Amino acid sequence: MPTIDQISESVFRETINRAVQDVFKTMLARTATLDTASDAANADGTPWEHPVQINGQQVVGTVGFIGDISGLIYLYLDAEFANEVASHMLSMTLPELVDAGDEVVNDAVGELTNMTVGTFKNQLADKGFPCRLTIPSILRGSNFSIEPISSATRRIYRFTVGTHNLVVDLLMKTGD
Amino acid sequence: MRYKILTVDDSKTVRIIVKKAFKSFDCEIIEAANGVEGLAAAAKETPDMILLDITMPVMDGVEMLTKLKSDPTLKAIPVIMLTAEGGRDNVLKIAKIGVRDYIVKPFKEEVLVEKCGRVIDLKPLTDGPTKAKSIFDPATILVVEDKPAIIQQIQEGLKHTPWKINGVHTTGEAIDFCSKNTPDLVIISLSLPEEAAFTLFRLIRQNVKTKYTPIFALVVKTELNAQQQAQQVGFSYIVTKPIEITELESKVAKAMNLDTSQRYFNVDGDVFVMRLPENTTQTVVGEVLNYLKPKIAEAVDSGIVKAVIDLHELKGLNMAIIKLLIQAMMTCKELALQYTLVGNSQIVSECKGFEDTRNWQFHDSIADAKASFTKAAPSPASVA
Repeated sequence: MPTIDQISESVFRETINRAVQDVFKTMLARTATLDTASDAANADGTPWEHPVQINGQQVVGTVGFIGDISGLIYLYLDAEFANEVASHMLSMTLPELVDAGDEVVNDAVGELTNMTVGTFKNQLADKGFPCRLTIPSILRGSNFSIEPISSATRRIYRFTVGTHNLVVDLLMKTGD
Repeated sequence: MRYKILTVDDSKTVRIIVKKAFKSFDCEIIEAANGVEGLAAAAKETPDMILLDITMPVMDGVEMLTKLKSDPTLKAIPVIMLTAEGGRDNVLKIAKIGVRDYIVKPFKEEVLVEKCGRVIDLKPLTDGPTKAKSIFDPATILVVEDKPAIIQQIQEGLKHTPWKINGVHTTGEAIDFCSKNTPDLVIISLSLPEEAAFTLFRLIRQNVKTKYTPIFALVVKTELNAQQQAQQVGFSYIVTKPIEITELESKVAKAMNLDTSQRYFNVDGDVFVMRLPENTTQTVVGEVLNYLKPKIAEAVDSGIVKAVIDLHELKGLNMAIIKLLIQAMMTCKELALQYTLVGNSQIVSECKGFEDTRNWQFHDSIADAKASFTKAAPSPASVA
């Protein structure tokens, strides 16, 4: 049986890049570009372990995957970007979204995260790492940081989507 | 029949996207947020199809699907999975339980509609319950023909209509056009290379948006085998080259179910006017006959008591036209409508040659005809 150690950094990067691009293109008709200049790896190729730096009001979607590989992915969107995402997915105007409340935006970001993590883990499943998804959850707030447990490895990828930034925080449970 | 589609997904966003995708089709969307709600809704509503997510709280999609398939009253309902849970092994495992299709998120609304359209006979929602489109309404017609001169001939011939004639030369261009637009009618030349016309016909019929769009075949008059083949595969009508534009226009209007009555009937002030065009073919006579009684009755119902039968554009008479005119006059008489005729010198002269028409009297213009009503109550024309 293949182990997680056999998945190289470039495979992780390519897999998450493909997942984000596919979801943003299909559901939002937007192009997401992986920001390689600030790639979350050290010069020697080891994953960058700094916590995610966030500024201002954020909406963070998270979905886990459990199976032969297990982990969690967080998608960080600033509040304005989250509203734009919900507006496009639901064909609602921004004033309509404000009237509908945060729950609607949360649900849209949750679904966007679900699709992204699904596309990511489906590619790994086809490489011999079957796993299933968990139900999405949402965090909202500013001036907070999410710290992984010590047994997890962390990979952070930054994307540019138009004028917005998207941060993808991939936490993988390490093999025993 | 209005189809019911049950969408079972814990994400309200997905349920809204599903509703949005089907809003232009004659179907009702029922929502459920998990497997338990989904089973209850399936039992209560007996939907024609279920769109089912997998990862949901309370009861997931796999459990719901298993329970559904073990219930004799529900197991026949077709299920399409709509889920982020992909992966070959996963899809195969669920397919074995019994699903009609499997859509992995993210998904495009068009793909969802197209796949559902393979399971149920989705019909586009009509704008109004009964109001037919008229010949004065715009329409989009796609002509697929590799000879630019033919496209130009059709565009030129129909330029007096409000229809937009879009010409393309290949099936690829036609498919591209249909993906961005929904034509009201398609005309395909059977002379496209390698039987491409028949392939294109099938592709248009497979697309939910164009499943019911009338498709005409365009073929040289002498190519009888191609005409027969086109009839067999189900083309709505065969247009033969050289193209008779008047006939084409009539057939297009008929295929699009357009109300063409305004071409022949209108109300001018307080006078009902029935007008025959210059080239009144057998098809035109048929159209006018269809509208004749209801249109005259409608005029009488609105309080009109005078009618003009306007033949000043008509080039010549024949028995079908004479029968039509006699029918019109009899209908006017039955409904106590005063009527008179307007004709040109050719028509007046031809009328002298027929027993049934030799006593008909004509005015030179509609103005003269209208003025005549004020002078005399009895009708100036008589039916033999």
